[in-house]
Parts: sequence; structure tokens; C-alpha cells
Amino acid sequence: MTSFVPLTTVFPGLVWLMAALALLQGLRRAALWRVGAAAPVAWLDGLAKLPKRYLVDVHHVVARDAYASRMHAVVAGGLLAASILTALAILPPLAGFRPYWFVVALAFGVTAIGSLLVGARRYPAKQKRLSAGRFQILPFLLVAYAVGGTITALLLALRIDGLFAPLALALAAAGGLGLAFEVRHGPMRHAAAGALHLVAHPRPGRFEGRPDTALQPLDLDAPRLGSEMPADFTWNRLLSYDACVSCGRCETACPAFAAGQPLNPKKLVQDLVAGLSPAEPAYAGAPYPGGRAAQGERGALARLIGPDARIHPDTLWSCTTCRACVEECPMMIEHVDAVVSLRRHQTLERGALPEKAVGPVTELRQSGDPGGRPLSARTDFAAGIELPVMSERGGAEILLWLGEGAYDLRYGRSLRALIRLLREAQVDFAVLGAEERDTGDLARRLGDEATFQDLARENIATLAQYRFARIVTADPHALHALRNEYPALGGRFTVIHHTAFLLELIRAGKLNPGRLPDLSVTYHDPCYLARYNGETEAPRAVLDAIGVTRSEMTRSGKRAMCCGGGGGAPVSDIPGERRIPDLRMAQAAETGAGIVAVACPSCTAMLEGVTGRQAEIRDIAELLLQAVEAGR
Amino acid sequence: MKIAVLLSAGRHPVSGAAVLPRMEAQAIRLAAGLGEAIGLHAGPDAAAVREALGLGLARIEHVAIPEGGDPVPALIARLAALAPDLVLAGRRGQGGAESGIVPYALADALDLLLIPDVIAVTSGDGAGTLTLDQSLGRGALRRVSLRGPVLATVHPDAPPPLAYAYGRARRGSIDGLGSAPTLTAGPDMAVEERPYRRRPKLVKGAPTGGSAAERLKAATGESGSAAKGRLLVEPDPEEAAREILAYLRQIGVLAASSGASSDASTPTP
Repeated sequence: MTSFVPLTTVFPGLVWLMAALALLQGLRRAALWRVGAAAPVAWLDGLAKLPKRYLVDVHHVVARDAYASRMHAVVAGGLLAASILTALAILPPLAGFRPYWFVVALAFGVTAIGSLLVGARRYPAKQKRLSAGRFQILPFLLVAYAVGGTITALLLALRIDGLFAPLALALAAAGGLGLAFEVRHGPMRHAAAGALHLVAHPRPGRFEGRPDTALQPLDLDAPRLGSEMPADFTWNRLLSYDACVSCGRCETACPAFAAGQPLNPKKLVQDLVAGLSPAEPAYAGAPYPGGRAAQGERGALARLIGPDARIHPDTLWSCTTCRACVEECPMMIEHVDAVVSLRRHQTLERGALPEKAVGPVTELRQSGDPGGRPLSARTDFAAGIELPVMSERGGAEILLWLGEGAYDLRYGRSLRALIRLLREAQVDFAVLGAEERDTGDLARRLGDEATFQDLARENIATLAQYRFARIVTADPHALHALRNEYPALGGRFTVIHHTAFLLELIRAGKLNPGRLPDLSVTYHDPCYLARYNGETEAPRAVLDAIGVTRSEMTRSGKRAMCCGGGGGAPVSDIPGERRIPDLRMAQAAETGAGIVAVACPSCTAMLEGVTGRQAEIRDIAELLLQAVEAGR
Repeated sequence: MKIAVLLSAGRHPVSGAAVLPRMEAQAIRLAAGLGEAIGLHAGPDAAAVREALGLGLARIEHVAIPEGGDPVPALIARLAALAPDLVLAGRRGQGGAESGIVPYALADALDLLLIPDVIAVTSGDGAGTLTLDQSLGRGALRRVSLRGPVLATVHPDAPPPLAYAYGRARRGSIDGLGSAPTLTAGPDMAVEERPYRRRPKLVKGAPTGGSAAERLKAATGESGSAAKGRLLVEPDPEEAAREILAYLRQIGVLAASSGASSDASTPTP
């Protein structure tokens, strides 16, 4: 019984030592976040909401992969429970209470099962999207800690003494201290940084059930615009990148990665992590497709973007800002904000836009349209149909925002259908005509915040002259800018997408569509409607109202794949192995639907440009018009 | 090398917004590839050329002249003082307070060599020499190597302008050099302005009469060379190759006799 008394102290002592080591390692890493810029953080609010953010919001994302969800619940729950229970055993009454050690043994046993589940994802062969490197050691550390802990607790519970106890304790110590050591550079960092990230999240609004997706406006008088180096990010953004657990869900969702363009969101975040500290171990996941190996200096003040820096500019400009990575990220990391912040520096400070994007952005700045077309020609698509103009009316119930799609011959057809539907429903509407400038969406996604703010101010001033209740637009990019991004610049409008407005008209009985049961339709969700604004139901409801046979693609709703048309990607035109719209049309073809319904001018142009496609591309408005005409 | 880029208050050809003329923006790119360049503007308001700071110039000198005044004397005075090795200017106006005559007036007054329609400038092999590529239209180029100060006008085929960088524009400086010493009225610009009207292109030798179908036939050559062609069904490869060669010679793609080639029509690089 001589060694029994120490063991009840040594074992809890080990957990306390682990906690101390984890804290030390965590603080060493946290010291690096201090180089970041200041950011307002509602600490008390964040702390109070941490359990809900973790158990509801994070779990909602994690649960999309049922195996990972169960694995994490078992291993993390077990690890936390076992460690806390053991740590509490430092109190003599608990240490001497034998049933208590049975409970501890049970918790460690659960952890052991979880550890085996962790190992099964990596051995014999690692799942493709996961990173190797230090993550491959993780199952061994977990198994050592859990098995060692189970045996030690059982020995304590059964009061068995002997040589076995020191061995089991040594096993638990090796695993446990290893895990604690990994808090600085290894897999366990995600737990510490992740929890803190949930507290200090830069977009707390996304946990409140509303889509907090508007880019934050840039102060154009700031000494340095955008992010050039890690120190230019705010400290809680640096923290958020450290939360990355390299699960690779973003890379499976990323359209640019799928198309073989040199972008991998996981590697991008890991490059931001590694860029902060030269001590960071090498990245061991999938590379940027066709990209070069990381090079260049590292450190808080090292340049991140450049042909000779850590991240090649082509990586930056491949992003379509579709937010699929953000939607999939279980650690709630905001990849798109990072991309735009880096782009802002490239564009505003260095004028380093991709060669092909210079023209459209210049025209946007000089003439208010990326094509340099006369603003008065925006309404040319409506030749022959009556189109009321605000400047002649002074006001209308609905202001119809036409957007850039109006210049496109193909999209003009969709807009004409929409206008005929509005007439049919006797809606009092008008357009701005030659007074409508581009919303500046393209400039903003490409980092040209100055041009965006100029255009936004001009548009807000124009809109302020007229009386209208709501803005209706068929362009989700314009919708997002007007609804979510203009308020920060002083323009507050009620903006509604044409699909939602048409649904209202149907439900109010102002449109009486017939049924088109012969059409088989699959609906492609635009990123800026579904992910940016959370609207996935209205377009489907319209399709159901006209009685088409509707089928869903594997990726739909908020998890739909991008058409490749956002974020200035079509004008940047970074070469890849495949084209994003080709991939999306192949997914649409799997449903066997003869018609792909769209609700965005960019999607229309991108998907209709796919060669050899079997399905027709039809806007929701066009289908509804067909149904209304059939119902007469 | 000292480079001066002449800047003017232009107008966007479509929107009419005050912008830097595109060819001057291209001139800035050419200058930026050579060395330190300054912008030079004579006009009532320096704000008109502020955009140039974002396009690659770090410094602009501005000589204030009253509205409607002639900028040429002010520019002559300033250029004589600066004595740059290279002066770059746009090649023609595009609707604002600018004129394609200014470079000629300056070259005349300063006794500078004027090389029009330049699309590329590089430093030559010798000290103080320059190599300029001049556009002769339709892709033909002429390379000119010369020594000494020169005034060149930029052709639209020059590399496109650099992207505008807001931060660079913010950092750049505009130095006001006071007003022009003497006020001179501009040349009498009594010109009539009216909107451009595109006119139909006349195809030489096209029939003017007949039905639309006949005119289309004539224009697309269906009654001409295409109609005269011979149809060969599964011909011998040798024979097919001969036919193709003969046709290419007939339309002038290949020289009349094989072997002897002449590249008289090849444009100089």
C-alpha cells in the first residue's frame, strides 16, 4: 500500500501538469496574436454565449459528417470529462472514494473508443481531405492517454497495487503531455484557439440566426489599406486562422479547387497560420492545384502575397467569394474576409489587379459600368415594352433594380419576362434608367473599396430622390450590396429578390399561373442568394406553384456549388484544369432534369456558356411567365 | 533618365466623366518601365490629373493657367527648365481640354525631335540612347534608335494602362508651380461639335443594285471564287495537296513559285 497513496496524488497531478503545459504552449502561441490590429470584442457576451455557439452552431456544421460528429462527441467529451474528473481527484475525499475512480475509468474508456474512431479515419489510409503531419500522431497520443488513464483509474478503483500502476501512469503521461504539448503547433491547437475564437468571433451576428455576410467597410483614410502581412489582420482574425483543424471540408466544397485552379482554402488558411511564425511545422495536406510550393520569408511583418512570397497572387484571384468554405467550416473561420482583405491591399496599395481585371475595374470607376457601356443603354433590352422610369414618375411602389445583367442579350430575355409578369400583376413599378450605376459589387470583391464606396454613395444619393417602398432585383449580387452592404454607407432600403416577390404575387392571387407538369426542373442556388442571404425557399416555392417536376442536385440550398461567376473570377480568369460551370452542369445533368432553373444573371451567363450541355437554362421568371401564359 | 509625361484634363468617351485620357495613362506605364518620371500639367485645376498619381506617377507638377488659356507657353517654359531626356504625350484628344496639336507645338518651340505613335520605349545600348517602337498601323512596327532628348506621342496599341491604386494616388504629390508667367489666349478653336454618326462602310466593287440576296451573294463571294471552286470527292492526297497549294498561291498566301520566298510583305517586327 506504500505506492497507493502517491498514485492518487500523482495521477491528478499529471492532469494538472498537462493543463499547465497546455496553458504555457497556448500562451506562447497567443503571444503571436498580439501583433495583430486591435478589434472590438464583446468579451462577456461572447463568453456567455460560448456554450450555445459551440453546441448549436458548431454542432450544426460538424453533424453534416455523421461519423466525424460522433467521433468528436465521444473523443472530446470523453477527454474533457476524464481530465476534469481526474483533476478534481486532487481533493482527498474524492481520491479516497473508490466508486469515483470507476466513473473516471469509464470516462477514460469512452475516450479510448473515441481515439480508435479518430485513428480509423487515418489508418490504414488517411481520408483524402485530411492533413497528415502531426495529425497522424494524434490517434496514438489519444490512445496512450486514454488507455493509460483507464488502467490507472481501474487500478485505483480496485485498489490493486504493483508494478502495473507506474507503467499505466507512464503511458497516460506520455499521451497526455504529448497532447498538451500539441496545443502550440499541433492538432490540439484547434481546441484552445477554437473555443477562444467562438468567444471573440469577428462576426458575432452569424450566431444570432441572421446571415452576417456583408463585407466590413474599409476606412480609406487608414495609414495602410488592406492586409499585406499577418500583422495587418486584426488579432481575432489571426486567432481564427489558428482555430483551423485542417479537416479539409473547405477544400471539398471549394469550386476553384475542384476546377484545378491554384486555390485550396485549407492551405490558404494554413499559409496565414504559417506566415505568422517561422516555427510552424510544414503543411501536410493537399496543395494548391498546379500551384508552387510555399516560399518566401515568414513572420508577422513578412509580405504574404507575391510571385516570390508565401501565397502566389493567382491563388488570391481564383476565389469566387462563394462562401462555400465558410459554410462548411466547423471552426467558423471566415476565409472570404481574409481573401478580400488581402485583395484590398493588392488593389488599393499596389495596383496589382490581375491584368484582365484592370479594364472592367477601370471602366467601373470612370463610367459606372464594368463594360464601359453608356448607362442610358441599360434599358435597351426592353425596346418595345413600356418601362416606367423613376425620373419621369418621381416615385413608385416598387423600384426595379436592373443590374449589369440588363446589358446582356440573353439575360434581357429574363428581365423582359419579369417585367411582363409585373405588368400582368399590375404592380406599380419603375426603373432608374440612365441614373442607375453599377452597385460596385465587382469592384468590392476585387478589393477596390474606393470605387465601391464612390459608386455606393452615388447610388444612395440617386435613390434618396425617389419615393418607393421596396427595391426588387433579379440580381442577387446587387441584392446583397443594396440590402447588406449599403447600410454601412448610409443607404437603408428594403430589398427583395424577384423570386420572393413573384412568390408574394402568386400567394396574393395577383398572378395565376397554370401548371407545367411536363417540365423536369432542377434549381441551381445562387451563392449570393442562398449562402449570403439564406434565401433558398422562395424560388423552390415558385417552381412548386407552377407544378413542374422538381429534383434536387446533390449539392443544393446553402451547400450548393458556385457557378464560377462571382467575386470577379470571370474577369480575373485564372487558368485551371477544368471550368467551374462545366462541373456544375455535370452535377445538374446527374438529376436528369431537362431544365436548370436559375435566379441570377451571373449563373445564367456561366451555365449557359457550357458547351455540349443537354439541359436548358431558364430563369425562374421565364418559367413562371410560361406558366402564366399557359394558365390563360 | 529624366522623363516627363504630359497630362491633360480629359473626358471619358462614353460617360463624359473627368478622367485622364487613356493614352496618357499608357504613357505613364511606358515611363514607369524606364525610370523616375514626373507628370506635367498646365490647366486651371490640378484635380483633373490627380488620377495619374494612382496610375504610376509619384509626382505631378502643375502650372496654373486661367480657364481657356493656352497651355503651350507654360509647358515650353517648364520643359525648357526641366530639360528631360524623354517627353511622352498622348497622340490625340478625346473630347476634353486636350489637343493632339500640343506635342507638335512643343517640339517645334523646343526644337525637339518628335516621334509619333510609339508603343514601346527602352533604353538603348549606348549611354543616353533610346529605342522606340513606332506603330505604322495594322500591326506593322518600325524600330527607331536615337540619341538625345526626344518627344514621343503614344499610340493606343501601347500596353494597356496600369491599374489605378487608390493608396498610390493618396501618397503622390502635386506641386503647384504658380501661375504661368504670361497669359496667352489659346488658338482660335472655332470648331463645330456634333455627335458622331456611324456611316455604312462601302465595299469596293460591290453591286449597288439588285436584290438584297444578290448583294449578299456578291459580298460573301458565292458567285465569285467560292462558286468557281472544284469539288473533289475522296481525292488522292497528293492531288488534294496540289489543289490546296494552287489555291493558296492563287489568293496570294503563298509566293507564286515554291522555293523562292519573298518576305517583302512581312512587317518589320
